[in-house]
Amino acid sequence: MKTRITFILLLTSIFTFAQSTISGKVVDQKGKPVAGANIYIDGTYDGATSSETGDFSFQTTETGNKFIVVSFLLFETFKQEIDVANYKDQTIKLRENVNTLDAVVITAGTLESGDKARVSVLKPLDIVTTAGSAGNIIAALQTLPGTQNVGEDGRLFVRGGEASETQTFVDGIRVAQPYGATTNNLPTRSRFSPFLFSGIAFSTGGYSAEYGEALSSVLLLNTNDEEDHEKTDISFMTVGLGLGNTQKFKKSSLSVNMMYVNLAPYQAVIPQNVDWNNPYQSLGGETVYRYNFTNGIFKLYASFDSEKFDLNQKNINFENPIRTDMNNNNFYLNSSYKGTFGTGWQLTSGISYGYSKNKITYNITDVDNNENAAQLKLKLQKKVSNYFKLSFGTDYFITKFNENVNDNVSIDVANGYDSNIFAAYTEADILFSKKLAMKVGLRYSNNSLLNENNIAPRASLAYKVSKSSQFSFAYGDFSQTPVVDYIKYSKYHQFESEKARHYILNYQFTKPGQTFRAEAYYKEYDNLVQYDTKNIEYNSVFNNNGSGYAKGIDLFWRDSNLYKNLEYWISYSYIDSERQYKNFPNMATPSFVANHSLSVVTKYFITDWKSQIGFTNSFSSGRPYNDPNQTQFMNGKTKSYNSLSFNWAYLLTTQKILYFSVSNILGTQNIFGYDYAKLPDPNGVYQRQAVVPTADRFFFVGFFWTISQNKNENQLKNL
Amino acid sequence: MKKITTLIALFVVVISSAQTQFEQGMGKAFGLWKEGKNAEASAMFERIAAAEKTSYLPNYYVALINATAVFSEKDKTKIDLLLTKAQDALDQEMIKDQNNAELYVMQALIYTGYVVADPMTNGMKYSGKVMEAYAKAKAIDPNNPRAVFGEADYQLGGAKWTGVDTKPLCAQVDKAIELFATFKPATPFSPKWGLERAVEAQKNCKK
Repeated sequence: MKTRITFILLLTSIFTFAQSTISGKVVDQKGKPVAGANIYIDGTYDGATSSETGDFSFQTTETGNKFIVVSFLLFETFKQEIDVANYKDQTIKLRENVNTLDAVVITAGTLESGDKARVSVLKPLDIVTTAGSAGNIIAALQTLPGTQNVGEDGRLFVRGGEASETQTFVDGIRVAQPYGATTNNLPTRSRFSPFLFSGIAFSTGGYSAEYGEALSSVLLLNTNDEEDHEKTDISFMTVGLGLGNTQKFKKSSLSVNMMYVNLAPYQAVIPQNVDWNNPYQSLGGETVYRYNFTNGIFKLYASFDSEKFDLNQKNINFENPIRTDMNNNNFYLNSSYKGTFGTGWQLTSGISYGYSKNKITYNITDVDNNENAAQLKLKLQKKVSNYFKLSFGTDYFITKFNENVNDNVSIDVANGYDSNIFAAYTEADILFSKKLAMKVGLRYSNNSLLNENNIAPRASLAYKVSKSSQFSFAYGDFSQTPVVDYIKYSKYHQFESEKARHYILNYQFTKPGQTFRAEAYYKEYDNLVQYDTKNIEYNSVFNNNGSGYAKGIDLFWRDSNLYKNLEYWISYSYIDSERQYKNFPNMATPSFVANHSLSVVTKYFITDWKSQIGFTNSFSSGRPYNDPNQTQFMNGKTKSYNSLSFNWAYLLTTQKILYFSVSNILGTQNIFGYDYAKLPDPNGVYQRQAVVPTADRFFFVGFFWTISQNKNENQLKNL
Repeated sequence: MKKITTLIALFVVVISSAQTQFEQGMGKAFGLWKEGKNAEASAMFERIAAAEKTSYLPNYYVALINATAVFSEKDKTKIDLLLTKAQDALDQEMIKDQNNAELYVMQALIYTGYVVADPMTNGMKYSGKVMEAYAKAKAIDPNNPRAVFGEADYQLGGAKWTGVDTKPLCAQVDKAIELFATFKPATPFSPKWGLERAVEAQKNCKK
């Protein structure tokens, strides 16, 4: 009997005596109650969920000092040692987790695409499913605000800047020769196939101190970290053939792509505005190797391509068409390592090498040039806390350029330059709260060729005014070595860097499926190169006294909520820009600037037809040109430009796709500008010739077949 | 002697109460889930997970509750939170054990959540990953009914526009239903869900 009593007593003591009540209230930094937080004693099941009023209360059998944990996804986990017996009616204040998705992000100047981007204006697929882009990254970016459509060139012109003012980076490392071969008013395209990149950030100004040698803009392309599956891709196109294969190993993967392009069939069908002796042909290949370490990833990217074409173009200065025969070989290698170590450290390092060789015969003159360009990069990033991140790094650029010009009569000269640029930068990311963020940086560079040191400050600030809208502001100084056309004459003249300063104010509104951006900017140019001759010659008199400005407004609206399966975006840019540079006699708007640009892109998925169809309409107002028959410089203006493009992707089966696209379906006769004769005719009038596209339309039909274990994988993303 | 017996009895009581603590906790969490109190159930499973590092089940259910909540959630901003939470819980277990078919099925389910939330953006990106996760689950356990059914069901969902032949997929659904009948969960709390949805899919197949 006694024993039984002892037993019962003991039992009850275990189950009842040590019961303590823990209670309190969970609030955020502003004192507002937090509902749904998980409060518990670490290592036990004892706990509760906070109510709508933030209150909680639970019993625990634990005694003495224990840890209380409060966790909730939107906030940083709270942990504190408490005396279990005496923890009642306590208020627990949670600190917001600034890493959550709704935290403020600096958006001034930057248009992002990809998975990691919090606000994506373009999705990765958009590059290839935008009508008129034909898989060209640059063409897709030209539907975004802040860019100019310069059809006779094909490169990116950003906010009143020349194409050379935009630098391209792959995995953070500069690409010296990002565009394919081109000459005289033939548009070029990006060398990179879009499907290798999972993220694209396109900055139209005010970018980070990490990037230098760019006056206007940077285009950041990041390769995929991993391939999903092993597969083989085969493409048959009206313009060529493609073959790709991906192999996946335990910790690494290898992708190889080959592409042969021959425009002969297309040129035979569509009437051409020039006379081709040999069609455009290219043979290229690229390979990506990735190896995953426990704490990092190593990537090797290499590409090779060889291009050639031969054509006769009418030239106003000559009676007969002028022949251009072009051969280009290009090699690019980029290897990078990105990894973490210690606590909160991240290391990025890389090396790139680019080699480009051109052999051009222009009429009777032979021009041979080659460029070797390399970059070494090291960047360290330390996450001090969720609120403060510091990064610093160095860059070293080496460029060697040589050119031989032989007119086979009297001139045979060689020019070139060797340039070494050392740069170092540091940058701090500060999050004051979920609503206010700042980035300040400084870049120092030393250019041995120009014999100069530069210090460029950069700063940006973002403030979130409501759940869906925010303002950003960016400021920065930028400098860039003058283009090769000038510095190849470095032995005759000591050039200086060209300079720009950006001020950007951005407003952004986002809701699921909707994005609106408005950006106003002012850009000052200084130290631009000027010369006093008709063409750039070794004996021109150069100076760095040029200047200019660009100011404008960019608007962007993207929506996928209007109608089911329909996505569309509208970009509008207004720009006012003048410069006095090159051989301009006075301040004038350069020929690549159109005051108004408007792009409308639509994509519609028709389930019943297993098809995606898309339309893109690009419009720009007239661009200035100089008419020597008029006294005022750059007084002419072309008619406006318009092009409506269409594409259609049809899924034959999941892995077989038929793709059709045509640009400028309306056949608008676009004129990019006018070339005037160097000398007046007997009546004293300078004759002119319109600069027009090589053909009014481009059409493309392709069949894409993917062979892989995964039957859902296809090449829709390659189109 | 009597005292010794008492002590032993006490010891047994304490031990057995410790053993059932897990069962009690899990039982309570399942109860909350059945009542539709998803947040409370998830919180309870989280607490159990924090205390019991040896069982994958509490975190598995945290992932399952949050991942399945996505299918009925209308607020797009919450979907990301739910899926992040599910993924975090799953990651904790995936690190400990890469040889559990159920964890890969869960991974596929989370990826499916992303696809369902925004098919236009995530369809292409996650479809491959969904299939890969199911393939891994089946490689580990070819007779796991959830892996067999999930893989077929995901493809059936997309068949409308991919034009995939549904016949072999429906055969897989039939096979999964047979597997459900013979499937024996390792413990009373081990995953055993999925039969109802499989039967539903079978009905649609016969239409």
